[in-house]
Parts: sequence; C-alpha cells; structure tokens
Amino acid sequence: MQIIKLIVNGKEHNVIVEPHETLAHVLREKINLTGTKLGCEQASCGACTVFVDGKVVQSCITPALRVAGSVITTIEGIADQNKLHKLQEKFVEKGAIQCGYCTPGMIMTSLDFLEENPSPTTDEIKEALSGNLCRCTGYVKIIEAVESYVKEENHLHPPLGHHPKHDDTKFKMVGQGRPYIEATKKVQGTADYADDIKIKNALVCKFLRSTHAHAKINNIDVSKAQAVPGVRAVMTGKELPITFGVLPISQDETAMAIEKTRYIGEIVAAVAADTEEIAQYACSLIKVDYTPIRPFFDMQECCEDIGTDEKIHQYGKFNNNIHKKAELRFGDQQEGLAAADHRLKVDFDFQGINHGFTEPHAATAWWDENGLTIITATQVPHYLHRFLAKVMEVPMNRVRVIKPYVGGGFGGKSDPFPHEMIVAHLSRILGQPVKVRFTREEVFLSNHGRHPTKLTIDMGVSNEGIIQALDADVIIDGGAYGSFGVVTTYYNGVLLQAPYKLDNFGFRTRRVYTNKPQCGAMRGHGAVNSRYAVETMIDRFAEKLNMDPCELRFKNFLDENTLTVGQYRVTSNGSTESLKKVMELSEWKNKYKKLPKGHGIGVACGFFISGSALPIHWNEYPQSVVHLKVDLDGRVLVTSGASDIGQGSDTMLAIIVAEVLGLSLDNIFVVAADTTLTPIDLGSYSSRVTFMAGNAAKMAAEKLREQILEAVAKLHQVDKSELHFENEKVFTNDRKVDLTWVEAVENATRKVGALNSTGAYNSPKLGGDFKGAGAGLSPSYSFGAVITEVKVDLESGHVKVIDIWGAHDAGKAINPLAVEGQLEGSWHMGMGQALSEQMKYHNGLLVNSNLVDYKIPTSKDTPPIHTNIIETIDPEGPFGAKECGEGAIHPVIPAIANAVFDAVGVRLTSLPINSEEVLKAMKSMKQFENLKM
Amino acid sequence: MIAEKKYILATTVQEAIEQAVANKENFKYLAGGTDVMVNKFQGNETSGCLIDITKITELKGIAKQGDFLRIGALEILEELKFNSIIKDEFSMLIEAALSVGSPLIRKTATIGGNVLCENRCLFYNQSEWWRESIGYCLKCDGDICIATGGKNACFSELVSDTAPALIAMDAEIEYVDEKGTHRQKLEKIYTGDGVKPRNIPKNAIVTSLFLPLNRGFKTAFFKLRERESLEFTSLTSAVTVDKKCKLKIALSGVDPKPVVIEGKIEDDKDLLIKKAIKASRAVDNDMYSRKYRREMISVYLQKSFSILNPPK
Repeated sequence: MQIIKLIVNGKEHNVIVEPHETLAHVLREKINLTGTKLGCEQASCGACTVFVDGKVVQSCITPALRVAGSVITTIEGIADQNKLHKLQEKFVEKGAIQCGYCTPGMIMTSLDFLEENPSPTTDEIKEALSGNLCRCTGYVKIIEAVESYVKEENHLHPPLGHHPKHDDTKFKMVGQGRPYIEATKKVQGTADYADDIKIKNALVCKFLRSTHAHAKINNIDVSKAQAVPGVRAVMTGKELPITFGVLPISQDETAMAIEKTRYIGEIVAAVAADTEEIAQYACSLIKVDYTPIRPFFDMQECCEDIGTDEKIHQYGKFNNNIHKKAELRFGDQQEGLAAADHRLKVDFDFQGINHGFTEPHAATAWWDENGLTIITATQVPHYLHRFLAKVMEVPMNRVRVIKPYVGGGFGGKSDPFPHEMIVAHLSRILGQPVKVRFTREEVFLSNHGRHPTKLTIDMGVSNEGIIQALDADVIIDGGAYGSFGVVTTYYNGVLLQAPYKLDNFGFRTRRVYTNKPQCGAMRGHGAVNSRYAVETMIDRFAEKLNMDPCELRFKNFLDENTLTVGQYRVTSNGSTESLKKVMELSEWKNKYKKLPKGHGIGVACGFFISGSALPIHWNEYPQSVVHLKVDLDGRVLVTSGASDIGQGSDTMLAIIVAEVLGLSLDNIFVVAADTTLTPIDLGSYSSRVTFMAGNAAKMAAEKLREQILEAVAKLHQVDKSELHFENEKVFTNDRKVDLTWVEAVENATRKVGALNSTGAYNSPKLGGDFKGAGAGLSPSYSFGAVITEVKVDLESGHVKVIDIWGAHDAGKAINPLAVEGQLEGSWHMGMGQALSEQMKYHNGLLVNSNLVDYKIPTSKDTPPIHTNIIETIDPEGPFGAKECGEGAIHPVIPAIANAVFDAVGVRLTSLPINSEEVLKAMKSMKQFENLKM
Repeated sequence: MIAEKKYILATTVQEAIEQAVANKENFKYLAGGTDVMVNKFQGNETSGCLIDITKITELKGIAKQGDFLRIGALEILEELKFNSIIKDEFSMLIEAALSVGSPLIRKTATIGGNVLCENRCLFYNQSEWWRESIGYCLKCDGDICIATGGKNACFSELVSDTAPALIAMDAEIEYVDEKGTHRQKLEKIYTGDGVKPRNIPKNAIVTSLFLPLNRGFKTAFFKLRERESLEFTSLTSAVTVDKKCKLKIALSGVDPKPVVIEGKIEDDKDLLIKKAIKASRAVDNDMYSRKYRREMISVYLQKSFSILNPPK
C-alpha cells in the first residue's frame, strides 16, 4: 500500500493505492470519476481511455503506481467548466451518442489522435478509432461527428446541417432530428450507469461458477471461505429455492444451481465481502463436490430419446430434452410444393450470437423501511419487479427496481437475472447494500443471446416467380434454461409469413435444452436466422429463373392493409418503397451480375413486429401507461416505466408530449423506469416502446391538453376549438386569448392544483382463432430492404463489405436522428453476425468469451452506410410511427451473403461467412466444376 | 490470506536486475503492459512483484551503431513510423508494428514487449476459472495439451507481429543480466516449447534490437486476421530479399516459435513453401482452423514471392 499523488483534471489527489491496482480502478473507486468506463478490463474495447501526461492510455491495464505524480485527464476534464469541448458538441449534435457507454473512450481517443493529425481523412478516422468498440451506432455518426469537428476546426465549410428533417409543416417537434435529452451528460462522462452508482457502505459480491456442464452437487464446503477476514456472507443455492423466468410458462431457473448444475458457468455459490478482491479470493476457497452427469451439447441429439441418462430438466412427459415444440400449418404445403415449377430444400446451420453491449451487467441492492431497492442495468424493470417479489417472497409493494443509464441491451438485459436475485437476498440477510458487477467473461456466460439454430427450408416458386409454398423445420438450441425461448420457438416459424404473400405456409420448430449458457432474446428476436435462410433461397430461385432478385421480391410483396396467411393484420407497408429506394441509390441495375469477379452486390428484405400485441403476462392491464403532471412552474413531468437503454425512448416521450402541448423540450422532464415512481411499462424488448409507450404518452398529453383547454376556454369565455397550443403559448387566432404556457397552466390549476393525466396503450384485439395465433401478432409491422456491395479476396476468402444501402419503413420517424442511429446500429450488428461473430464452444465451455476472439466489427471493418427512413404513416402508431430498433437487422445478413454469391458464386448455408468458410466453399466449388469438366 | 504484492519502479537496468535477483523468480518485468496486465487480469501471470522498467532511459532511443540501427526495447510501436531510417531501410517493421492490436494498444506497447509477448492459445488465454473447468493444460501446470486432445507438448502460438519482420531482416537482440551483456540473432531466443517459449534468462532485460544497415531489403508482409483491427495474428508472414539476393522467410502465429526459412531468390519457390508449411506446427488453438492457417502460408508466400521477384 502506498500513497501517491495524482493531478486529475487539474485537481490534486493523494490516494492510497495497492501495488497492482489499475489506474481505472483508482479513478473509478477512489477518486469517484466514473466517466472512465470498464467494458472488458483487457484493453480490447477502449472504454477506459484517459490521458496520462498528455499521452493516451487504456487505464484498465495501466498500473496506478506507474503514474504516481502524473497529470491525468479523464472525460470529466474535457469540457471547460460547463462549456463542452467542440468535439463533444459535435458528438451531441450528430447523434453519435446512443447508450453513451463507449462515448468517453471515443472522445478521448479522438482528441488524442486529432492532436497528432488535425486534418484526417475518413479512413484515418476509422483507423484511429478502431481500438474503441461501439455496439450501438455502427460508428456512422461517431465518424460524422469527428469529420464535422475537423472541418470546422480547419475552417472548411461544414456540410449543411445534417439533422434529418422531414418536410412536414404539420408538426413542430415530431420529425425533427435531435440529440437525446441526456446526451450532454453522457458526453461529459457524468451519466451514471449501474456500476457508477456508489451506495454508502456497500459490500461487494462475487460468484463461484460451475466447472461442470451437467453434474450433481453433492456438497459445497464454504468453511474456508467463511473464515476469510472481510467475508460477510457465503451463500449457496438452497437459500433461494424459488424458481423464476421471464415467461410465466418457463419458471425453470433458480438464482443458483441447487441440486445440480446445468452449464459451465452457472452460479453455485456467492460471497459478499468488504472488497471485490476478498470476495474473489474467498470464492476460490469454496470446494464443491460434483458427480458428473452425461452432458448434452448437440441439439439434434436433444430431440431424441435419451435412454437411461438424466434429462436436463425433469418436467415434460417425453424422455428427451425438448423444451418446446410448435407447429402451425396454413394451406397445403405439400400440394404447393408439388405444384411449384421450381423447388429447393436447403439445410442451414447457425452459431450462437451474443448481444455484445458495451456495459457489463451490474447491480446494487439494499433493504430499508421501504423494503428492497435495486439499481440495476435492466431493460425490463417490471418483470424484474415481479420476479424479485416472487423469489424474495414479499409483495410487489416491497420491491423497487430502478434503472439507471444503461449501456446497451439488445435483448441481453431483458430477463430477470440470477445476480439480481442474489444481491437482493444477500443485502437482506446482511442488512447492508450489496453490489455486483460482471466481468466480460461473465457477460458471455450469462448470455441469453441468439439461439444456435439448425433449420431446413423447403420452398417452391412458379415459373413466374410467385412463391407457391414455404415449409420450415427448425431446431433451436436454448441452452440450460427457458428465458424467452418459447417465444423464440414460435418466432422462428411465424415470422416467415411476411413480407411475402404465402398461401401454403407451415413450420415445425423445436427448442431444446442443452448444457450450455441459456439463449434468449436478441435484436430481431427469433427471426434473424430463418430470414437469412429464406432470403438467400429467394436469391437462388431468382438465379434459377434468370430473374432479377429484386423483381422476384416485388412480385411477392404483401399489399398494405391486408392479412397474412396466419392472420397478421398488416396496415402500412413500405416494402416496395424501401426496395425501390435502395435499388436506385446503389445503382443496382448497373451492378447486379455486372461487377468483376470477386466483387458483388446482393439484396434482401425483411419485416418485424412493433411490439407484441399479447403481453407475456396475460392480464387486462395496459401494455404501457404514461403519467403527466404539471404545476405552476409549467414544467411537464412525464413518468413512464419505459426503459431507455440507449435507443432514445426518454427523448421520444418528451418529443411526443411537447408536440401535443406545443412546448419545447425545456418544459418537459422525463422520469422513467423506476417501479415506485413510474407507471408500468412492460419493458424495452420486441421493439415495442415507441409504438406503445409513445401512444400512451400521446394520450396522456392529449388529456392534459383537454384539461387546460376546458379551463382556459371557460375562464376566457372562448370556444375550445378556437384555442391553439404552439410555441409555448395558448392563444386564439384573434389574440383575444394570448397566454404564455405558464399563464395557461396557472389558469387551469386555480382551485384544483397540479394537473395530472394518464395515458394508456392497449393493443386492439387481433389474430385468428387457433392455438398459436397470438405468436408474432403486433398492432403494426415494419418493413425494409438492404443492398450491400462486397469485395471478396479470392486467395484468402476474406469478405469486405464496401457499402450498405438500407431503407426501413419506420412509419413516421418521431426523432429521425435516433431512427437513423437505430438502423445503422442494426445493420452494423447484422454485419458482425454475417462475417465475424460466433459463440464457439468446446465441450460446453465457451471458448471466446472476450472482445478479441468474439469479433464485433471495428470502425475499420465498417463500410459507408447509407441510411433511408421510409415513412408510411401507420394508422395506429403515435403520429404514424412504428418500430425501427430491430427489424433492420434482418435483411442485412442475407444481403451480404447474396452479394458474396454475386462476387464469387458460392452460397454459404452457415454463419459466419468468415474468410475460412468462403475459401473452403470456393475450393469445393472449384473441385465440383473440375469434376463436371 | 491474499499475499502482499510489490510494485517496483526501476530507473536503471542495473537496479531492475538487482530487484529481479532480490525477488527470486517471483517477479515480472513490466513495460507497456498490454500483454502482462491482461495476463495478470486472467490469472495467467501471477508474479507477486512487478518491476516496471518504463522509466529506464537506457532502454529508449533509435540510432545508428556501427553497421546496425539500434532500436531501444522501450520504443513505442506506434512511434516507429516517425523514424526516417526505419522508414527508409526497414519499412516492413513499420508495417508490422502498425498491424499490432489496435491504435490504442500500439500507443502503449513497446517493441521489446512485442517480441517477448507471451505465446497464446485459445485454451490458455482464459480466466483461472475457465482453465480449471477445462482441466489445466501443459502451459498452466497441467499434464496434457488440451488443444491437441492430449499431446505432451505445448503448441501455444507466438503472436508477435514485429518478430517475424525483424527476423526476416536479420535483426539481433541484446539483453543484459547479472552476468553481463549478450547479443544474438533474434530467432535464437525462441525455443519452440510453448510452455517456456524463450531461452532468455528470467532476470535478463532486453535492452535493444539491432537491424543491419545497407542491406537493401525488399520486403513483403501479410497478417491473417478476420477484422482489420483489434486482432492477434493467426499467421504473420514476413519475407525479405536483400541486395545479395538472400531470401528469408519468417512466420509467426503458426508455431510456438517463429518459422524461419532461408534461401536464395532463385530457389524453387514451391520447395520453400513446402518447407515453411512443414516447419509450422500449427494446431487447432485459434479461431481459424489449423488447416486454413497452413493453406494461408502458401497463399501469403506465393504473394510475397510475386512481389519480390516480379516475372521479367
């Protein structure tokens, strides 16, 4: 232990430092500058970047004692008091900030390299930022922000104001691109994420995880761990026996393994101690006696009778490891296939994919007179609220879930998690707050990512290119527990019934348990892999028919205002417009089949739900509720349970309320995702928030408006219809009434006090009268198309995507800047799954649980992305809006595969399409061609 | 309980070595730390004492020394590009340095650290818990190699990108220990044993690398990786021809030590490629398969030969 002096952001600190402590740890834990983020602790994400004596370093690998006496600058020291640095201003203005977790590192890295190279090219910017991972933005707006800063600094004319704006005189607020309301806080590093929040006197929790995939737990000896000074509690699974799971029908998980472990990495014991180091050390002293049971890793094998071996989960009447089967049939697939002029049956194989959000899970829990409070990185405060109450055996009124800023989710923070149950329990027995934060390895082990999938599609088309039948047979690998898996099982099938007309459509899907970390929901939930299969097969048919694949798609698109074969109600539909747009921009007609060898272009389409019409918990409660309150100060308080995880939902709510009331955002204050303060919203998943919470906010604002209208009209004796709400005023055209907003509020609150209103969203009754009809039902669907251009290295097989043109029918973009960000992030994430990402297992043990071997594309791998928002004005969406956060990922992956085919003539039926696989395919094709000759 | 740890900032080579001797094997020299600190986080590096050598000025500097260019071991990878001699005579070293990790890594990592970076394996570069789960391998005191399913040898890969570039340009390495100063061909320090991949004495400090001047190297450099940044190599290929038509191939990423093949420009190229592939003991311990990496040796060498020996 040593005392060192550090000058951090101009202030001198004398801190006690342990010999091997990192600078990141000192900054975050001892100096309380938590703008420096930890994403990996292995120097592979860049989130912890700071300056030491003017030089850029990753503080997670910088020993604190090395920098004794140094001058350190963190993100908190970049703004000049409250004046943002111009680069920070650009990040805000350009929408370069979504979840904000990578932002501090991005700013620090950019500032460092701009010092060295003040006039960089775009490629130089991409190179410079290529050690900083971002999962939200696809780097597009980050690069734009840096470029724009450079241009202004060099006194070049900046490009015309980028903020996308859609010509709409109808709206004042809706439709104008604007930064997130909290962007300034995020860009300064002062937005608090779960691990940044320090609750006084909190203990730290660490876990011992199973080293066996499937094993009976005979005994856990915690005596040595308990004896370590500083250890406050050691806990095993027996203390929390109540099961939970996000779906009421899959309550198959406990906070820790109790009788047996079901995957390598499952929590078997937890230690709460004074420091993380002590907790970690104590975990290493816990001895678990296991008897291995035969593990199951192969999903095909898990569909079959397992003989005398032990099932992963006991329930279910059959002697196999199938978790869920689903089958639906419409029309007659066999007849349709038989009648088709062309028929193809293709097998596909997909690896698991992880969300890769930059912020690892973290939570702090404590108990007081109000019961349990937990601050946690979650997408679904409401479900966590329910299951904490269940597992802690207290009524829901004794549980409060608070979501702080969240560093991305993409589905990976949308389950109630074991670690949340454990810290809740430990803090209860200890009477002291308990905190936990995951390492990146633990994030991967916790998983809940996209299911590994094996599927077969049997499809037929006529000579005219009309799809005659589609039959899918799917197995998905759920891992050890249920999570959202029942929904995923259905989605792999049902979400094939659009965007094309199908009369004969059927599927059988099965989800199996295996002894691997569980899978769950991830962006594009359940339909990404099956969409890949169908879109690449459509390309094959186009090839067979010698028809342009865009043409084939145009011929088959569903109309607007129609029903699908499975009775989905399609309202607005921008498929045709989207595809036309990307064809035009990419100059498709000049390129398709016309590019030289090794250079190709490909297309695909997709669609997705704007939230599920049926809630997970079947009750009559609305899917979203928003409350408004306004008092004499005129500021409208918006409270909503919707979780902003970086997608911008807080800003969306503010815009909608401001639009209805004729206000600017200065008069709006959003409090969201705190289960005690805010009304229930079901959470940020299935791309539901803009549609559902947006509608609830709109309704609440309209009701508030009505209250003010009534009061003002009565007081001033004018007809309600004469009053307008605009520019923070309430007035009549003849100015007989001409009130400021605050005056109007004052008028309306006389004798009654603060005004309140409630808005709620209930999905209309939808769907057919058959079992399974509810799966994939949504009040509205988004549609979209992507064209990508690639270059394939003929010698190594390496695929470089050189352009992505995307168009997405988002109904109406409430905040076009945020919508673009969602689309760009989706396309970028899809590119990762297409080319480089996979979860690789060795006997059930995840081999690549780090950000070096799990290969999220860097800025350097990212091509120009050309983003187009298509607006079809949905009849039921708020101001016509529908989803934009998930659907866009569907078309990009097959579009890349189809471009690879155009480039080198190989069809990949498994992902990722990495260099090795492409080369292998090219070689086997060559052999095949040689054989033919 | 938790052992008391030490952190020592040495200011001279002599002081560092004295500290090393005093801490008897239970220490690790620390330069940039991009390798050591990550291994420490994972529990692969467990020394109780870190001897920080970054403040030792003797280990810095780039200057001509006789027929050689001396590069101090502490020179930062990202900064090599600013040196005009390196740019003119050894530009492949810049290519190699700029292919390492990411720009952020390269701004901290040193050239000495890069040639000494610890061998890697998918089954070794994991947390303590992970290695316990799979059953410790040879490199962490286990009995067998997990990657090969039970061989009694460790095939963890040398993943330095600068080492093959330096070796192909006939670099020499100098190190100092309590017995004095030693200098030898860089390739000589690598043992080929993944468990103990270098034969430099534990107490020794690498002080500099020497590159021979006026050799007129023509070079070809390739690195196999899926992403264009943030990657350890799966195969790095450095090939040179000097003005006397001496040809030298150095590969990393496919063996515990650099694969070095020497010849003449007029040699049978197919034979050279065969030799290189034969010498590479790549195993399935990388995100790419052994088979693919071996195939790519041939691809990269052919490309290199066509760059270095354009058809007349």
